[in-house]
Amino acid sequence: MFSRNHRSRVTVARGSALEMEFKRGRFRLSLFSDPPEDTELQRKLDHEIRMREGACKLLAACSQREQALEATKSLLVCNSRILSYMGELQRRKEAQVLGKSGRRPSDSGPPTERSPCRGRVCISDLRIPLMWKDTEYFKNKGDLHRWAVFLLLQLGEHIQDTEMILVDRTLTDISFQNNVLFTEAGPDFELRLELYGACMEEEGALAGAPKRLATKLSSSLGRSSGRRVRASLESAGGLGSSPILLPTPAVGGPRYHLLAHTTLTLAAVQDGFRTHDLTLASHEENPAWLPLYGSVCCRLVAQPLCMTQPTANGTLRVQQAGELQDWARVHGVLKGTSLFCYRQPEDADTGEEPLFTIAINKETRVRAGELDQTVGRPFTLTISNRYGEDEVTHTLQTESRGALHSWMEALWQLFFDMSQWKQCCDEIMKIETPAPRKTPQVLAKQGSLYHEMAIEPLDDIAAVTDILAQREGARLETPPPWLAMFTEQPALPNPCSPASVAPAPARTHPMPWGRPRTFSLDAVPPDHSPGAPRSVAPLPQQRSPRSRGLFNKGPPRTWLQSPV
Amino acid sequence: MSYIPGQPVTAVVQRVEIHKLRQGENLILGFSIGGGIDQDPSQNPFSEDKTDKGIYVTRVSEGGPAEIAGLQIGDKIMQVNGWDMTMVTHDQARKRLTKRSEEVVRLLVTRQSLQKAVQRSMLS
Repeated sequence: MFSRNHRSRVTVARGSALEMEFKRGRFRLSLFSDPPEDTELQRKLDHEIRMREGACKLLAACSQREQALEATKSLLVCNSRILSYMGELQRRKEAQVLGKSGRRPSDSGPPTERSPCRGRVCISDLRIPLMWKDTEYFKNKGDLHRWAVFLLLQLGEHIQDTEMILVDRTLTDISFQNNVLFTEAGPDFELRLELYGACMEEEGALAGAPKRLATKLSSSLGRSSGRRVRASLESAGGLGSSPILLPTPAVGGPRYHLLAHTTLTLAAVQDGFRTHDLTLASHEENPAWLPLYGSVCCRLVAQPLCMTQPTANGTLRVQQAGELQDWARVHGVLKGTSLFCYRQPEDADTGEEPLFTIAINKETRVRAGELDQTVGRPFTLTISNRYGEDEVTHTLQTESRGALHSWMEALWQLFFDMSQWKQCCDEIMKIETPAPRKTPQVLAKQGSLYHEMAIEPLDDIAAVTDILAQREGARLETPPPWLAMFTEQPALPNPCSPASVAPAPARTHPMPWGRPRTFSLDAVPPDHSPGAPRSVAPLPQQRSPRSRGLFNKGPPRTWLQSPV
Repeated sequence: MSYIPGQPVTAVVQRVEIHKLRQGENLILGFSIGGGIDQDPSQNPFSEDKTDKGIYVTRVSEGGPAEIAGLQIGDKIMQVNGWDMTMVTHDQARKRLTKRSEEVVRLLVTRQSLQKAVQRSMLS
């Protein structure tokens, strides 16, 4: 029943003799229990189940819509993770069973297929453009509908979510600041991206219904939804699209709807920003529908482990160029697409420069065995690179047959990884781990204006008036007279000029203080010479000057410079 | 690099990755920009085409993060972290570069020497 080298799963009945033996410490449970990766997964599953219970309780206790949205989002993420972990456990158990029945205990030896190394995949700077009707965006009238959106990202059995962002029609894009990192990805990874949205306002259908009826409707599973639940539980790694997948108590809260999704693979990886198409999943009747433009812009990078970690190291003897008998002894480290040769093994760790570096890329050719020049020196291999017209060959001698074999094995593995990870092996792509962000202090609490600005010598008046306007804008009824220097609209009636000047517009309420038009230090200020009849170009009488307004009069006459 | 409204723009670009420097409460990049669709392009000393309303680098602080990253005076910024910079106002451009939550900005810049180098290598 139990063979020495085979791990098998055993369920131990309570009160049985075997259980008593475990309790007495006669056998170690680990001999009979699951391999450690399964217990890790089980632990994560238990954790998510506990989180889900917590999220349910939190949702029941929420009074405000925004809190309820956050709690529902946590619930949805927990549900999805539970489903995917359960699917993964199922798959692993099936694989174990299949593996055991196929293999005989007498089989030994490594599997003949090579598997590519794992890598880290990071997606960041996610941005989804929106496509409002221009009447909605520019006129900006009517009730401001708001939506709460977030992204769910799944790679293998790992699910991560972004923060929840509130969107209304004044935004042109949904931008997520998160850096999402997946650590155990293979080159055949599929990163599934799903955008979920919910209305900030109460949804029409269930808003009027009495609460008990609403909860009953939400939490009972009808025949079709029951079938859906069973189907999604069976499918491996299926991702739920509604929060009512596993029966949860009293889900009367807000509902998230799937708005769009897409799947990214290795072909989409690039050390730069790219735009990908989104598959839109909801239509206008859906309460949470948002006018999506249909694409997502992001930076998707991958770092295969073979590029960032050394794959082989050991002592080598390298034949010096031209000297047939002079072989230098070095410590070689194979990392990424180079073989670094250091004088001593410790140099690799201390950051010393290597003596020299041999490039190993897709075009490199490696051969093992004896050459004419290496008569009498066994266990050699050669590495040849072609640089333009020339071919450069390095001949290396390893310490023993075993060492030669392991070096060749490492090189073949590297070539295989490079063929699988393709463009990720050309250069190491950078992945930033953002430092724990401390919340930027709100400086407005401090009284003085100087705390808010860092003025550089080349700073222009624009920054000063900008900050001033922001601070003072709410309080001022009419702008101070000196501010009129920076606007072309006389704020107070100018006593010097004759009455042909357009009078200051009658203001019944404090004007929302847009950023005043400012001039760079080089531009010519308007002529305020008193007495001269002002041949005034029609000034914008009603509108306060706005720098955003391209509907100002005339062509722009400034060329501002700003330090960043 | 002449620009026809409505037509796609093609340019040879260089990637520049700038790590912002923290100075007290601010994150600075160490250069200044000029230009924008709300500015007067004829006053731009760096542009070849005097109707180009793009964002140009007008000054690079010595030893600052931008100089270390390889940004040069006169460069035209095409893109910042995926956001387009060829059709933005001056203020929008400044804001896109100075987001407090970002510590690294990845720019795509183009300069005349790059264009000329590519043209020369294509002729030879």
